[in-house]
Amino acid sequence: MIEFYNVDMTYPNGTTALRGVTLSVAKGEFLFVVGPSGAGKSTLVRLIYRDLVPTSGFVFVNGVNLAKLRPKTVPYLRRHIGVVFQDFKLLPRKTAYENVAFAMRAVGASAREISRRVPATFELVGLAGKEDAYPSELSGGEQQRVALARAIANHPLVLVADEPTGNLDPATSRGILQLLFEINRRGTTVLMATHAKALVDSARRRVVALDRGRIVRDAERGTYEALRA
Amino acid sequence: MGAGAAVGEALKSLRRNGLMSAASVATVAVSLFILSVFLLAALNLDNLARTIESQLEVRLYLAEGLDDAALEDLRSRLLALSGVTEVLFVSKEQALNDLKEQLGDRYSHLLEGVEEMNPLRDSFRVFTLGPAWVDSVAAAAAELDGVENVGYTHDLVQRLLRLTNALRLGGLTLVGLMVLATVLVISNTVRLTILARSEEIYIMRLVGATDWFIRWPFLLEGMFLGIAGALVAGVVAWQGYSWAVGWVYRSIPFMPVVPVYPLAWRLGLVLVAVGGVVGALGSLLSMRRFLRA
Ligand SMILES: Nc1ncnc2c1ncn2[C@@H]1O[C@H](COP(=O)(O)OP(=O)(O)OP(=O)(O)O)[C@@H](O)[C@H]1O
Ligand SMILES: [Mg+2]
Repeated sequence: MIEFYNVDMTYPNGTTALRGVTLSVAKGEFLFVVGPSGAGKSTLVRLIYRDLVPTSGFVFVNGVNLAKLRPKTVPYLRRHIGVVFQDFKLLPRKTAYENVAFAMRAVGASAREISRRVPATFELVGLAGKEDAYPSELSGGEQQRVALARAIANHPLVLVADEPTGNLDPATSRGILQLLFEINRRGTTVLMATHAKALVDSARRRVVALDRGRIVRDAERGTYEALRA
Repeated sequence: MGAGAAVGEALKSLRRNGLMSAASVATVAVSLFILSVFLLAALNLDNLARTIESQLEVRLYLAEGLDDAALEDLRSRLLALSGVTEVLFVSKEQALNDLKEQLGDRYSHLLEGVEEMNPLRDSFRVFTLGPAWVDSVAAAAAELDGVENVGYTHDLVQRLLRLTNALRLGGLTLVGLMVLATVLVISNTVRLTILARSEEIYIMRLVGATDWFIRWPFLLEGMFLGIAGALVAGVVAWQGYSWAVGWVYRSIPFMPVVPVYPLAWRLGLVLVAVGGVVGALGSLLSMRRFLRA
């Protein structure tokens, strides 16, 4: 579902964030991307939804070579990819409902489809009843659930989450992680970049560790830090 | 998204950005109002110039004792001159009456005793296609039999023409500069409202909205801001101009002014068009930097 072949990423200012990254994520897989600050996690995530284009190497999503994508077709790629951030990135002047409905309208969903699917999505993320609240009226955890609802409203093939629990307390974080597992169970490939050691260690899922732009470890049922031999 | 949805989206966003929208509308309104003032002034200067020019005529004072046949002959020769549009005969009796009227009751006693011997001459008033023809018509008419004197001063006419042309040029320059300033102010105002929401555009792109899906509501928003500002400016300019025209009629009756109607409606249309188009283009242009994938 996601393939990196020997990807180098150097920003215009000369900073090299990724070096020779090769990675393959199968359909329906769940994986954590971990590593110290500045290791290149966010860069890797941004390459997937083509916020960035690699300096060299190739990124494929659902079999599509992103480098070959014309700017005009990027929106259509993004419809298959849900994105979640540490700072939620909700539209502050839209209600929770509108934030989700908006994302569906953007991809051309009909009004009827929207009014049918949005409530179901709110149900899934555990926010039924909060539809009319503005983001400023919601807690961090609730805002992240709205962001998740928005990310999955269009049934994406892939969900990428860049430190989705970075601003949340441990209990709320576990709730968000459970939600990501649930989304994954329903068939969506999930990639989550994170610093949350406890979450990663308790989950025992695939862990890819980055350090200074290189993949230094890739373990099934891994932990946050390398286990001593 | 459909057109209706885009309009709804734009209106909703204007409402929720209330303060920002109000400030933008006010800015647009002020700049369009100033533009209106200059536009109205320029139109009136042109009107004044036109009035002055239309009053340019060649006055031919005739020899004494021409009979009707001679007058008729002279008139047809005058009409044959190139550039001449109309020839009016003014008898010396009529000329005296006109003079009396111009002087009014207060000064008419100056003419007492003059009336018996009327020192004035019969004359022709010759009208031309425009000021450019006056010179040549005057010269040609002076050569004709029966014309004794040409009441026309080359210098005066040239000076008048220089004045009217200067009025026009000045008016046009000012309006041109004001249009430029207005376009800059409106597009910059719209730009600021969009810059304030670059995050919104980024999120729209993230969820897979196409560029045009993102553009429409912003474009309409810019257009509505421009039109709302134009309506405010139009109403104020209309009321202000009506008042000004009334004041001029009362205080300087002989001053020609362009009547309020239909000018007010036309001005309103121009303002709405300028506001709407510049608002829409301004938002399109300022979105460009956010929409390059
Ligand atoms: N837009 C940018 N322009 C230039 N350099 C950048 C940019 N974004 C990130 N970098 C650099 O690229 C490297 C990797 O950054 P990245 O954000 O991918 O790290 P990260 O693993 O997500 O870190 P963190 O855990 O702090 O979020 C860092 O050295 C960073 O300074
Ligand atoms: Mg990061």
